[in-house]
Amino acid sequence: MSEAVLRCENVSRFFGGIHALKGISAEVRQGEIFGLVGPNGSGKTTLVNCVTGFYPPQKGRILFEGRQISGQRPHRIASNGIARTFQNVALFKGMTVLENILMGRHIFMNPNPLAALFYPVWAAKEEVAHRRKVEQIIDLLQLESVRDEHVEVIPLGLQKRVELARALCAEPRMLILDEPMAGMNQEEKEYMVRFILDAQEELGLSVLIIEHHLDVVTSICDRVLVLNDGNKIAEGPAREAMSDPEVVKAYIGGQAHAA
Amino acid sequence: MFYRLSGIRHTSYPAARQLWPIAADRWQVGLVTALALAAPVLVSDLYLGSYVLPWLIWTAAALSLSLLMGLGGQLHFGFAAVMAIGAYSSIHLTRAGVPFEFALLGGGVAAAVIGTAFGAAALRVKGLYLVMATLAMQYLVDWVITNVPAISGGAQATLRTPEVSFLLLPLESLDARYYVALLWTVLMTLFFLNVKRTSFGRALAAIRDKDFAAAVIGVDPFRTKLMAFMTASFAGGVSGAILAFCYYGAVTPEQFGFNVSIQLVAMVLVGGLGSVIGGYFGAGFVLLVPIVLTNLIAGLAGAGWISVSQNLAAHLPLIFYGGMIIGFLLFEPLGLAKIYDNIRKYFLVWPFRHSGS
Repeated sequence: MSEAVLRCENVSRFFGGIHALKGISAEVRQGEIFGLVGPNGSGKTTLVNCVTGFYPPQKGRILFEGRQISGQRPHRIASNGIARTFQNVALFKGMTVLENILMGRHIFMNPNPLAALFYPVWAAKEEVAHRRKVEQIIDLLQLESVRDEHVEVIPLGLQKRVELARALCAEPRMLILDEPMAGMNQEEKEYMVRFILDAQEELGLSVLIIEHHLDVVTSICDRVLVLNDGNKIAEGPAREAMSDPEVVKAYIGGQAHAA
Repeated sequence: MFYRLSGIRHTSYPAARQLWPIAADRWQVGLVTALALAAPVLVSDLYLGSYVLPWLIWTAAALSLSLLMGLGGQLHFGFAAVMAIGAYSSIHLTRAGVPFEFALLGGGVAAAVIGTAFGAAALRVKGLYLVMATLAMQYLVDWVITNVPAISGGAQATLRTPEVSFLLLPLESLDARYYVALLWTVLMTLFFLNVKRTSFGRALAAIRDKDFAAAVIGVDPFRTKLMAFMTASFAGGVSGAILAFCYYGAVTPEQFGFNVSIQLVAMVLVGGLGSVIGGYFGAGFVLLVPIVLTNLIAGLAGAGWISVSQNLAAHLPLIFYGGMIIGFLLFEPLGLAKIYDNIRKYFLVWPFRHSGS
C-alpha cells in the first residue's frame, strides 16, 4: 500500500450553529483517484475548502506530504503543490484562454513591476519559457483551437477544461476537482474523464474529485469517501462503498417501515 | 488594404508576444511618435503650452491611476493627493540642492511610501469602503499640506519651482519642458503596456476578476494589491512633480484638491478602465472638451445664432459636458477606448465581418 499524500485528522468546521464537518478523518494515497461523494449539503465542498485554506478547520489538522497545511493562507497552500478547480467555473473573464492558463504558472513567476519596466531584458525570457510549458498542457488537453479566444465565448465544457489546464500548469502534486463534470453532456463528460486520467497518468498526480455522476465515480475512483450531513458514512473501494446500506439510504432515502 | 489581419503568421513566441504584433499598428505608433517629436515645430507655442503639454502630463497621471483602478480594480479617490506629495517633495528636494532627476525620483518615492502606507490601511476594506478610505487620504494630505508651513510655505502661499535642468537641458524653454513631459509619458505608456503582458499585470487582473480563484493558484491578494498601490503612487508622484515643474511652474494646495481627484477618476472612466489609449482619450476629453464647448457656445452666441444670457453661457458647456460623460457611461461603459477598438477591429477584418481563426 502506498503512502498517504493528504491526511485529514479529525477535521471539524462550524458555520455559526451549523456543524458542517464533524470530525472527518481521511487520507488520499500517492497516485490514486480519490472520490468524495455525498448528497447536497453533506460537506464535500467544505472539506475541500478546509484543505485549500479558504475555511481553516476549527478542530483537527490537515497534513500534506507529512507537513501541516491547515492554518496556512490559500496562496501558500497553492504554492505547496495543491491545485484545484471550482464547482462554478472560476476563470478570469476578459482574459484569453492562453492568459488564463498562463496564470497557472504564477507561482513560478516573478510578479514584479520592475520586471515590466525592463521587459526586454528581464521579463521576456521568463514569459517565453513559461509559454513553452503552457503549450505542453494545451497540447495535453487539446485546447489548441481556442487558445486565443476570450474565455467567456467558449462553451462550458471547454471552460471547465481550461480551468483544469490552469490547475495543471502549476505542476501540482495533488489535484482537487470540485464537480468537474457538472452541467456537461455525455460526450463532454467522457472527454473530461479521459483528460483527468491522462493528466493523472502522465503527470503522476494524486487526484481528489467531488462528483455526483456515480457512473463516473465507480469507473475512475480507486477509493471513495461518502459524507452525509458532515459525517463520514463509508470509505473504501468505490463499488463496495457505494453499495453500503448507509450510503444507499443517504442517497435514496430510508424505508418508512423497516421490516 | 493597408490595415488588415490577413497574412500575419507569427512563428516564434517572442514575435507573437511583441507589443504591437500587427504591422499596421507599428506604422501607426511610429507615425504618432514622429508627430509628437515634431510637435514643437508643427504646433504654435500657445497651443503646445496650453493644450498639448497638459494633455500629455495628465495622460501620464491618468495612466498611473488606471494601473490601480483599471488593472487592479482598486478604486482610489485621493489620487490628486498622491500627485501633490510628489510635487511638493520634488520642489523641496530641488530647493535643498538635489539634482532635478533625483528629485523626480524622490518625489515618486515619497508618494509611494505615503500612498502605500494609506493603502495598507485602506486595503482591509473593499469597494465603496475603499473609496471612503482613499477620500480620507485626500483630505488628510490636503490638510497637512495647507497647515504645515514648512511644506506649503504658509497658508494661501504659492510655492515656485526653482530653475532646474534635466540631463543638462535647462527647463526654461517651453520646448525643453515639452520634451521632458513627452519622455515621461512615453515611459509611462511603455511601462503600462509591458505590465499588461507580464505576470504582475495578469496577477492584478486576476485579483480584480476573482480573488478566490487568484488565491488558489498562488497569488497573494494583499501583497499584489499593495504592490499595485505602490507602483501607481510612485508613477502618480512623478507625474505630479512633472506637472509642477513642466506646466504649473508654481504649486498651491488647491491645484491638487478633491475635484482634481474626481477629474482623474473621470479621465480613467471616460477613457476606458485599464486601457493605454483610453488614458490618452480620457485625459484629452476631460481637459479639452470643456474648452471646446465654451468656445463653441461663445462663438455661436457671438455670431447671433443663439441668444443666451451671460450666466447661461457660462453653464451650458458644463451641462453638455456632464451629459456627454453620462452618455458615454451609459452607451459604452468601457469608454472611448472601446469605441476606438470597435472601429479598429472593423477595419482589421474588412471587408468581412469575422476574423475566421
